Amino acid sequence: MVAVLVIEDDDRIRLSLAMALEDEGYTVHTAATAEEGLVRQRREPADTVLVDLMLPGIDGFECIRELRRHDEVPIVVVSARDDTHDIVAALEAGADDYVVKPVATKELSARLRALRRRTRPASVAEPRPTVLGELELRPYAGEVLLRGELLALTRTEFRLLCELAEHAGQVLSRQQLLARVWEYDYGDERLVDVHVGRLRQKVEDDPGNPVRLVTVRGMGYKLQRP
Amino acid sequence: MRRPGLRARVTAGFAIGALCVSTAVALLSYQITERYLLAERESTARRAVLFDADLVHAGLSADPADPLGAIRPLDTGSNRRAFLRRAGEWYSTKVDAGNTTADIPVGLIALVAQDKAGVQRVRVGGVPAMVIAVPLDEGTALYEVDFMNELDRSLRVLALVLTMVAVGTTGGGALLGAYATRRVLRPLASVADAAREIAAGDHSTRLDPAAEPELERLTTSFNRMVDQLQARMERDRRFAADVSHELRSPLQTLAAAASVLSRRREQLDERSATAVHLLTEEVDRFQDLVTDLLELARGDQPVQRAPVDVGAMAVQLCRSRGLAEDVVAADPCSVWQVERRRLEQILANLLDNAHVHGGGAVAVVVRTAGSTHELLVDDSGPGVGPADREVIFDRFVRGRAAGARGDSEGTGLGLALAAQHVTAHGGTITVADRPGGGARFRVTIPLEAP
Repeated sequence: MVAVLVIEDDDRIRLSLAMALEDEGYTVHTAATAEEGLVRQRREPADTVLVDLMLPGIDGFECIRELRRHDEVPIVVVSARDDTHDIVAALEAGADDYVVKPVATKELSARLRALRRRTRPASVAEPRPTVLGELELRPYAGEVLLRGELLALTRTEFRLLCELAEHAGQVLSRQQLLARVWEYDYGDERLVDVHVGRLRQKVEDDPGNPVRLVTVRGMGYKLQRP
Repeated sequence: MRRPGLRARVTAGFAIGALCVSTAVALLSYQITERYLLAERESTARRAVLFDADLVHAGLSADPADPLGAIRPLDTGSNRRAFLRRAGEWYSTKVDAGNTTADIPVGLIALVAQDKAGVQRVRVGGVPAMVIAVPLDEGTALYEVDFMNELDRSLRVLALVLTMVAVGTTGGGALLGAYATRRVLRPLASVADAAREIAAGDHSTRLDPAAEPELERLTTSFNRMVDQLQARMERDRRFAADVSHELRSPLQTLAAAASVLSRRREQLDERSATAVHLLTEEVDRFQDLVTDLLELARGDQPVQRAPVDVGAMAVQLCRSRGLAEDVVAADPCSVWQVERRRLEQILANLLDNAHVHGGGAVAVVVRTAGSTHELLVDDSGPGVGPADREVIFDRFVRGRAAGARGDSEGTGLGLALAAQHVTAHGGTITVADRPGGGARFRVTIPLEAP
């Protein structure tokens, strides 16, 4: 059974979401505050965390950062706020996806499934690492090494890098990346931009002047062939 | 006719002022100079004539029969002519005397006849001159004509110089006016710049009250206005965010609870199942309504343009609505500079409108002609009557056919929202009859932002 942790301060939303997700076949852990959620996750880790942004005490952004400090658990923000600032801030804090309330149970379930697919190590046919200059990707093991050192990537960052590496030297548009990594037919391109930014923090020596993961103006992103 | 601008008016004012002042000064100084010079000249001439009169008188006393001999020794130079009138006869040492004596005014002769001396100004052959008469004995008088060529020339030069000075002063006044208005208007230009920046969305723009101490009142009230505007916008934004949050949160509970109920429909009796069905449908519609309303409420936000493949978007949206992909006819390159989210809503709302009111879209055209992008969505429904073609884009207007059917689909905001997004892009949205029946919605968006 896949376990989902729901961190939501509104009792009614928490209860109804828990029921709806249980109907979809998930085991649901709940927490009314970020503090409670963090403790719960440490004690009994869930496979995915759903987190609201407006929480009493530690807010959602801080909660995401705190979760990210310890593990790579996929995080989906479920918030009533649809302000660009909030979305970008939450993604930059480390969230993998962002849905705006009210979200239909079917839609939420689909997002969680997509996230799970991303999370599982890809079923790659050939268990050989892809080497791109100083970068070495081992999709079968879910590992990326830069100059022989293991990088701590979230699953979404990892999938994004694999997708770009598979088409190294080619430009992939934001929509293509959304479709392949997030499985969105048409989605919010900020998801891609923020994740590319986070990935750069880890794979570039100078994230302000990227040389490996470059932006192709008006087209998309490209992982340079060495 | 358009009123001339402030700068033109102030410049003209300065020029006219300078012209008046310089003309007055020029006229006055000309008058004073002329009067002074003439008076000077007159007294000189008078002294000379009195001196000559003594000479002539002495000559005549010596030989009363030779008047010519009496005036011959006079040193009149080139500027003066001396005439002696004795017993009605004119005597002169110059040959052209006959012409000149005709110019001696009769009034002066009459004055001399009363034994009085006199001075009169005349023009002789176009040259200004002064005639001075001094009675000598009974029936005898000395007349001298003093030509004032040089004085006249000097006055002409003076007039010319003064005119030039007046013209120069006027020009200087105009320049000063132009410069002064520019200086005075410069702070206003900075106000205009600041206002433009604020309109463009940079609400942190403020004027520096120290830059122009005289305009401190303007800058402080301007800054206060911007502060209040910003506070007001921030309040509105927060209110919209709060409303959004307060509406979305209970909807989330409703949506999740409805899905739980829906899943157990089989276990419910028929009445309860119908109720759950109604509940679920209405929750969905309410969700759409809230989403559309919140979207409409923040429609005044600036468009964030990025390259978007509209053709691919249309294909995708048609596919997700179960329409055949060959419904879409797009240019080979249909990448537009638009805001993806808004264009997606325009297209989706037009497709949904076609689905609800026109039996589904039968053709979607994405093309660019000249400097406009064009988007056509055709359906084969009953079409839109001429009377409804304007109001159809108003909020909460539903098609007549839909109303007649009692159909509850749609929020009544779809086309209003589409129209708002199109307007935000500087474009137009219209509806007409499709050739062959049905409605044709046409969206045009200019290539570049206006």
